[in-house]
Amino acid sequence: MDEQATATNSMTTTANTGCVISEEWFGRTVVLGASGVIDMLTSPQLEASIATSLKKNPTAIIVDLTDVDFLASAGMGVLVAARDQASPDIGFGVVASGPATSRPLKLVGLAEIVGLYSTLDEARTALGE
Amino acid sequence: MTTPSYPCPDDGDTFADNGVAADAHNAGRVRDEFAGWLRGHVDLDDVRFSDVVLAVNEALANAAEFAYLQQRGMGTIDVEAVQDRAAATLTVTISDQGCWRDPDPAKQGRVRGRGIPLMRALADDVTIDTSALGTTVCLRFDNVHAVAEADATVG
Repeated sequence: MDEQATATNSMTTTANTGCVISEEWFGRTVVLGASGVIDMLTSPQLEASIATSLKKNPTAIIVDLTDVDFLASAGMGVLVAARDQASPDIGFGVVASGPATSRPLKLVGLAEIVGLYSTLDEARTALGE
Repeated sequence: MTTPSYPCPDDGDTFADNGVAADAHNAGRVRDEFAGWLRGHVDLDDVRFSDVVLAVNEALANAAEFAYLQQRGMGTIDVEAVQDRAAATLTVTISDQGCWRDPDPAKQGRVRGRGIPLMRALADDVTIDTSALGTTVCLRFDNVHAVAEADATVG
């Protein structure tokens, strides 16, 4: 039922498209965990989730793509836009590893721009308070 | 019990889906169908598999998003993939009958406009033919072999 049962303050949004995004807070760091497919159909969902989280004044925002099976350029555009939108003093990171996610991000030169980490622990250590 | 229990050997060489409605939903559906065909008929490791599916997705997404802007988004996309056993290539053609829109760098910033660079990074060769009749994107992947089971080389 509740797939984020361990989170103290979690919220899950689902569309009929196979993309699920959960929100978890660790202090003032927010982790948006996405799973499924992020393409032109579902990337607005990710965009909306990031915008919602940013309104709650996080000190850092981490987009965890560990469980994402497919990341299209539409999703990459959302990540770059989010990094640009968030004020420079908000920490920003993307967690991804694997041929479907970190590889294309690196191929188009976005790893440095969005802050790419291979595990959530690594991202939280780098960005957490 | 009279139907053959195995497909004809050349069945696996071609994937085609024509007249696909040019929208995000159908672009995703065709991408998934293509990925299923690819998994079953072409021998690729995980990295190459992801590369091919992403490149095809970007061509589909471009057609779905831009080709028919002047026709209020009404139009179709044709997709054909051919695995050439002799040449060991996979060629995927994505065609529309819409209007090519040249990328506008001023509007894209660094947020948009990664579809074509991605295709060029992922495929071994990319050609984009545009005319008044539409746009055809052709993606070629080299050193692509059919799955071993499909080859009638037993014995």
